[in-house]
Amino acid sequence: MTKAHLNKLDNEVLSALLDGEQHLTDAKIAEQDVTTFGRYALIGDAMRAQKNNNDIHIDISDRVALALESEPVYADFNQPNTEPQAVTETVKNNVVAFNWRKPVAQLAIAASVAMFAIVGVNTLPQSNNQQQSEIPLLQTTPLTGMASPVSYSSEPALENAEQGLRELQQQRIGALVLEHQRQARVANSLQTAQNSIKAQEEKN
Amino acid sequence: MKVITFILSLVVSFTAFANDINPAKDLLLKMANAVHNRNFDASFVVVKGKTMEPYRWIHAKQGDTELEHLSLLNGAGLEMVRVNNQVTYFEPQSEPYSLKTDSIAGPIPEVLFKDIERLSAHYDFVMGGKGRIAGRAAQLVRIESKDEFKYNYWIWLDMESSLLLKAAYVNHEGEALEQLQLTHVSVTEQPASMLLEVLNRNFPTPLPESDLGGAENTAKNWSINWLPDGFELLKSDRHKLDLNNELTDYYLFSDGFVEISIFIQRPLPGKRLSGALTSGATTVYVHNGGNFDVSVVGNVPSMTAKAIAESVTRAL
Repeated sequence: MTKAHLNKLDNEVLSALLDGEQHLTDAKIAEQDVTTFGRYALIGDAMRAQKNNNDIHIDISDRVALALESEPVYADFNQPNTEPQAVTETVKNNVVAFNWRKPVAQLAIAASVAMFAIVGVNTLPQSNNQQQSEIPLLQTTPLTGMASPVSYSSEPALENAEQGLRELQQQRIGALVLEHQRQARVANSLQTAQNSIKAQEEKN
Repeated sequence: MKVITFILSLVVSFTAFANDINPAKDLLLKMANAVHNRNFDASFVVVKGKTMEPYRWIHAKQGDTELEHLSLLNGAGLEMVRVNNQVTYFEPQSEPYSLKTDSIAGPIPEVLFKDIERLSAHYDFVMGGKGRIAGRAAQLVRIESKDEFKYNYWIWLDMESSLLLKAAYVNHEGEALEQLQLTHVSVTEQPASMLLEVLNRNFPTPLPESDLGGAENTAKNWSINWLPDGFELLKSDRHKLDLNNELTDYYLFSDGFVEISIFIQRPLPGKRLSGALTSGATTVYVHNGGNFDVSVVGNVPSMTAKAIAESVTRAL
């Protein structure tokens, strides 16, 4: 018997084992080389998957972990108060971001837009006041899932165009709400300033 | 400036002296005092319809220095830090900036932390019932609008510490539209060390007041023919919106309690319908004015926003 022949015989046993045609014992497993075992398992998976339309499970977590190790760190939650980092920032722009804020900054764009998008409320107080219920409601699609009040139009092309316009409108409304929030912040100082001017005028 | 406001408050309180001392007003002043002088660490949620925003609110007073930190805990977040008369806003996407003001413009109307006397002309202060909120005995105080163009605001105060425990915008049918509820509050003798750390930080220099915008710039471009009583123009200008870069003529009005923004913009393409959209107490009313779009944003009923939007005409 040549060596090659011996290998082939061994693998037959392995193949049978994986296909459930042979009983599993520790001794039989131990005989097998780990990498060969994995490869045969994958072959078996692939063949069965073809038959049953199932997913093949290839374990690449090791390699992903390896790749991640060489990846630059964007947000390190474990780092204690990073004083040196804060110092360099003061040099840069005299503005210090809070340490506990930093990891969060990465989420910025998408989330902030979602935050100011008005989420799915287009109700007016439906009171007995007749005039009130005459106000039409704007249809905007909430960004965060939920049941979206999309048009009931049955024509897809029309619906698409409508959706585009609606997005434009929604974008504008989001921008308006954000702007209102920001402007309202200065309201109080403006009002105090105005009041003091008025008080001064009254005195004179 | 402080002297002036002091004199002003004296004048105002003198004119109000004819009325009996209002216990509701008294409680609110106590609350403002407590919020400015206690060391506390609180968490609250703001519920607007189906959405909810959790916040953490920490305040410290050490000697003459007041420190306050309010942060939105969900999403990309929003941090607001106050050191005495300077408030710095940290927002995602934009550079942090500071304003010279003695209160944070968060979900609680700023005026509640100040002299609420200036609201007397357009709001009534009424004592409500007692109840249990956030595990504490609470007293309800209602700030009720004298006309139907604004919402009422209800506030539940801790009977022991006078701190705010719950608040809600309530419409004239008595339905709560937007609620703020403390879930936890601890009042301590010593200020939180985390907050004291803020003192070692540098914040951006506050924007000069002239930058905040005067009332003259574009005030004459449009005439806004109707507003509820008590609203005064605080600023008007023309600028680009941050999110979509659209140019807008902008007007900011306030009655001391709520702010109303009016935007006049180039019309969007397509069939434009006028309509309202609300989120909690905030209403956005978009009005198709023919050659221009008028949008009104503010914590007012949609009928009010509609009436304001429809009253805007091109100035002659």
